[in-house]
Amino acid sequence: MMSVSAMPEKDATSGAFVHTKLMPILTHYGIFLFLVLAILVSGLITPAFVSRDNISNMLMQLAPLGIVVIGQAFVILVRGLDLSVASVMATSAVVATSFSGQNGDAAWVVLAAISVGIATGLINGLLVTKRNVSPFLATLATMIVLQGLRFAWTQGAPSGNVPPFFRSIGTGAFYGVPYNVVIMFIVAIVLAIVLHRSAFGRRMYITGGNPVTAKLVGISSDRITIAAYVICGALAAGAGLILSGFVGVVDNFVGRGFELDSIVAAVMGGVALSGGRGTVAGALAGAAILVVISNAVVMFGLPVQLQTIIKGVVIVVAASLYVNRSH
Amino acid sequence: MQAVLQNTSRYLSGGRSGHLIVIGLLVVMFIVGAVLSDRFATSNNLLNVYEQSAGLAFVSLGQTLTILTGGIDLSVGSIISLVAMLTSGLINGNPAMVLPVVLFVLVLGTLIGVMNGAAVVVTGVHPLIVTLGTGAIVQGVALLYGLGPTGKVPLNFDTFAYGRIAGKISIGATIAIALFLLVWFILRYTRSGRYVYAVGDDPHAARLMALPHKRVLIGVYAASGFFAALTAVYLVSRFGVGQPYTGANYTLASITPVVVGGTMLAGGRGGVIGTLLGVYLVSLLNNVLNFMDVSSHFQLVVQGLVIILAVSVYVEKRRVA
Repeated sequence: MMSVSAMPEKDATSGAFVHTKLMPILTHYGIFLFLVLAILVSGLITPAFVSRDNISNMLMQLAPLGIVVIGQAFVILVRGLDLSVASVMATSAVVATSFSGQNGDAAWVVLAAISVGIATGLINGLLVTKRNVSPFLATLATMIVLQGLRFAWTQGAPSGNVPPFFRSIGTGAFYGVPYNVVIMFIVAIVLAIVLHRSAFGRRMYITGGNPVTAKLVGISSDRITIAAYVICGALAAGAGLILSGFVGVVDNFVGRGFELDSIVAAVMGGVALSGGRGTVAGALAGAAILVVISNAVVMFGLPVQLQTIIKGVVIVVAASLYVNRSH
Repeated sequence: MQAVLQNTSRYLSGGRSGHLIVIGLLVVMFIVGAVLSDRFATSNNLLNVYEQSAGLAFVSLGQTLTILTGGIDLSVGSIISLVAMLTSGLINGNPAMVLPVVLFVLVLGTLIGVMNGAAVVVTGVHPLIVTLGTGAIVQGVALLYGLGPTGKVPLNFDTFAYGRIAGKISIGATIAIALFLLVWFILRYTRSGRYVYAVGDDPHAARLMALPHKRVLIGVYAASGFFAALTAVYLVSRFGVGQPYTGANYTLASITPVVVGGTMLAGGRGGVIGTLLGVYLVSLLNNVLNFMDVSSHFQLVVQGLVIILAVSVYVEKRRVA
């Protein structure tokens, strides 16, 4: 599929044009071109795919993943990885049911949930920077610990209710635009400004690109790295609240699969696992492609199992395209 | 070449002092268990712990090899699920089919591993992403094959999991030990085994010295696929049937004993004996926690803390060295 947009330049005879004009465009905007192409093709096959209802539906599915993938991108930018995001999401959703279930508690729920996210991010960041634990293991461990605490707290099955406020955030719409999508875009814009326009963002790129340089120019890369994990934890907690409002029912596994989906989306969107490369917009486009694929499979009436298979193929193909380009 | 071999053997001996930590923890755990309950230090209980360690042992043996090369195999859970379903689905209660099907699924698992390795080598993408992708594909195929428990196996198929030598020593767990010793021997005394360490220790140097690093990588993922398939056969033997999520927990579970046993995720350091001790540590830990009446929920918390503790200890050692 990716090859649809990537093939023509290989057949082109004018190699110079390919290298000076086409390749940079594909490298920078390939993911967006692919997203547009995927939507167009799906729309041509099944017109219902581009119906107002279905687009709104896909956007609502995108919102939680979109928020998580931005956090994941921050962590990957500084050469990290966060496997604990799904566990943070579920824990935050369980927190949401642990109060009275009335709107009066909504502010406390948000405060408590985000605190859990920040605390988890802080522990992840400290383990990675101060104890030199590999990000994979550090976040795997916090993921397991959180899961255990959650199970122990809920005795296996959460019983309370999510305040109606979250229900309306998760499912309601503002002039046809779902609230949770509005939230996602606000988060994306704010964090894009932080990443691409602020001194902090610049320090993140330097830290991820080359920690030695970072040290030489006086950047505390430990602090930058910890901040990235904290931002990721807070975003995951927020996404957990939104998802619990969207689904309406909370179990111990809200957000299951988000750790892998968010990593995959970020990598597809051009965030390099080696650190120092990637954008917020690219990561969001990666997440959008995952949602489009899942939705298209259902709209085409194909077996749902194909979602997983196609997703797997796209991951490997997309990731390999980025590797080849960087060489 | 000589230097690499010397280096790797130095790392191996470094690994052995790591074994002492795990052995120490095993002893502590044993004492705690014995103090907690009269029934803990009985041969009956310990033989049960031994028997139950087999599944984790097979899958983490393969995982150790991929991690030694600086990679990881996140597709083992999906391979286990697919192979488990095919095992019970294809045998479908027919005793004559047992041997051909078991051989077939072991080959299949190996081939999936070969594809993993080839994808890693050809694309140059980090194994984490590659095996995540292939894992998703294999899981999808497992779900296409069936959405629930599929097929059945003859009654005596449970010998692999529940059979005991002289009515005492578990057959499956003993096969696991034999395989660990075999792989240990290969890693320690054969050229290919040394290459695994060399590629993991410094892939760049390995390439410069013209070591067959591509073949080594394909080899370890093939081995990982084979051992995942063996785990699947074991689990079908234990539960009587395979279902699409039989292996779901094994992907991450297979990593715990490896890192607890002192194999570094960065590659090139550690070994399978550490992993075997790690498997026993995890099994014994769960057993002790059961005796302590700790709810299964908190067992997860303890496991997470053990991972943090273990990796912190090994990191400290590396800094001193």
